[in-house]
Amino acid sequence: MLVIGIESSAHTFGVGIVSNGRVLANEKEMYDLSTTGMIPAKVANFHAKNAGKVIVRALSKAGVSFGDIEGVGYTKGPGIGPCLQVGQLAAKAIASKLKLKIIPVNHSVAHVEISRHAGKLDDPVVLYVSGGNSQILKFASVPFPHYRILGETLDVGVGNMLDSFARKLKLTPAWGSTVARIAKAGRYVEMPYTVKGMDFAFTGLLTHAIERSGEEKAEDLCYSLQETAFAMLCEATERALLLSGAKELCVCGGVAQSERLREMLDAICKSHKMRFGYARNEFNADNGAMIAFAAEKMLKKGCSLPLSKCDIKQKYRIDSAVVVR
Amino acid sequence: MIGEGAEAKVFETSLFGTCAVVKLRHVKSYRIREIDENLRKTRTKKEARVIYRAYKSGVVVPRLLGVGKFTVYMEKVEGTMLKDILDTYSDYARIGRTLAKMHNADVVHGDFTPANIIISKGRACVIDFGLSEISDSIEDKAIDLLLMKRSIDTKSYMKMLAAYRKESKQAKQILKRLEGVEKRGRYQVRSLA
Repeated sequence: MLVIGIESSAHTFGVGIVSNGRVLANEKEMYDLSTTGMIPAKVANFHAKNAGKVIVRALSKAGVSFGDIEGVGYTKGPGIGPCLQVGQLAAKAIASKLKLKIIPVNHSVAHVEISRHAGKLDDPVVLYVSGGNSQILKFASVPFPHYRILGETLDVGVGNMLDSFARKLKLTPAWGSTVARIAKAGRYVEMPYTVKGMDFAFTGLLTHAIERSGEEKAEDLCYSLQETAFAMLCEATERALLLSGAKELCVCGGVAQSERLREMLDAICKSHKMRFGYARNEFNADNGAMIAFAAEKMLKKGCSLPLSKCDIKQKYRIDSAVVVR
Repeated sequence: MIGEGAEAKVFETSLFGTCAVVKLRHVKSYRIREIDENLRKTRTKKEARVIYRAYKSGVVVPRLLGVGKFTVYMEKVEGTMLKDILDTYSDYARIGRTLAKMHNADVVHGDFTPANIIISKGRACVIDFGLSEISDSIEDKAIDLLLMKRSIDTKSYMKMLAAYRKESKQAKQILKRLEGVEKRGRYQVRSLA
C-alpha cells in the first residue's frame, strides 16, 4: 500500500509518503518565524504557495507518481484553523481528482504512533511534548481505543514557554535549541517549580524567568529554566510510569528533540529497568510522514471517510480520537 | 522496602522499640543537584509540618517520631487500607468528619483516596501527606472531595458528604465550588486506581 500524508497544523507544511510502514519521502517547507510569530492568515498563505511544490518534491523523492498512490491522509487537528484548511484542501483535491480514499488524522496520535513504531515499543507511557502540547498519555481500549491523558500542562505547552522566553531575550530561532546551547555555560539560579500529581504548569516559571532577565546572566536563566521545566516533566512522567505499572516509556513531539530531556528520561528508565524509545528528530518535528504512517494503518483497517465528511477541528483533543494500532 | 513512589521510598524499621516506617526522599539523579536537594528538603519539611498540623486538629494520623533532612519517621499504623475493605459504607461518616476537621485547620490532603486511608481499631487514619499543602483555598478543598467522590460509590459518598457538611465550617462555599470544578473539563476522571 502507498499512502501520502499532508501536515499543516502550524508553521510546517509537510508531505510524507509511506509504503507498508516504511517512509519513502518526508519533505517540508517551514514558515520563517525569526521576525514575527505565527499570524494565521500569513502562515496559511505560505502553505498554499508551497503546497504544490512540496507535494511534487515528495513524489519525486519517493520515486513514485500520482497514479501509484492509494490513499491520502491529512491533519484534521489540533492546530491553527486557516493552516489546517490548506492541508485539508490539498488532500481533498488529490483524493477527488484521483478518486482515492481519504483519511483525517489526529496530529498528536500521529506523533505518538510513529515514535512508538520507531522505538519498537508496545504499550508505553508516552510523554508528548511540543510547542502547543505537553501531555502524559497511555493507551486505553475502553470505551473506545484511544490515548488517555494521565497528566498534562495546566497552562501552556513546554515548547511554547521556551519560545516565549527566548523571544523576550531576543535570541534567534529555533529557540528551543538556542536556549539549550546557551544553557550549556549556565549555572543554577532558583526558579519556581509547579507539579501537581501528574499535571504541571509553566507560566509561573516563565514570568519569574522574564522578571529576572535584567539581573541574571542569560546563560544562567536559560540553564535554570530548562532544567526546572524538564525536571517537572520528568517527575510527573515517573509518577505516571509507577502508577500505571508500565514497563516502557516513549517521548515524542518537537521538544523530544532535546538531548538533555532524553538524557533525563533515560536515567529514570534505567533506574526502574524500563525500556525507553523515541523517533529520529525529523519525525519529532512536525512532518508529513507521521500523518501518512498513521493514515496507512487506518486505511488498512478500513477507516476512511467520504469527502463531504472530511472536516478540520482546531481543538481536536487526543483522547477524543479513535486510535488504530 | 514496602513502597516506592515518584519521589520517595518507604521502608519498615523499628525505632525506640516500636514498629516504624521511614519515608526517604532519595536522590533523583536525572535532575541537577540544586533542584533535587531543594525539592527533597522543602517537601520533607512541609510533609512533617502538615502531619503535625493535622494531628493538632484532631485528625487520626500516623504519630510523628522524627524528621531528618530527607526522612520522615512515623509510627507504623496496623490495619487495613480502605480500598481493600469490601463493606466500607459504615466508615464514611467518620471519613467525612475527618476531612472536614482537616479542612477546618486549612490542611489540604492533595491525594484523598481510599488508598490513603487505613481503618485501624475502628478509627480512620489518614496517611501519605506527600502532596499536601497548608492552604485556605476553597478550590483545593473542593478537589479533595472530588478525588474521593470519583473513587467511591454514590451511596458512600452521600454519607460522607452529609457528615462533612455538618462538621465543616465552609461546607456551603466548598460544595458550590465543587460543582464549578466538576463542570470544567480539566478534572475529568484520570485516576488509575
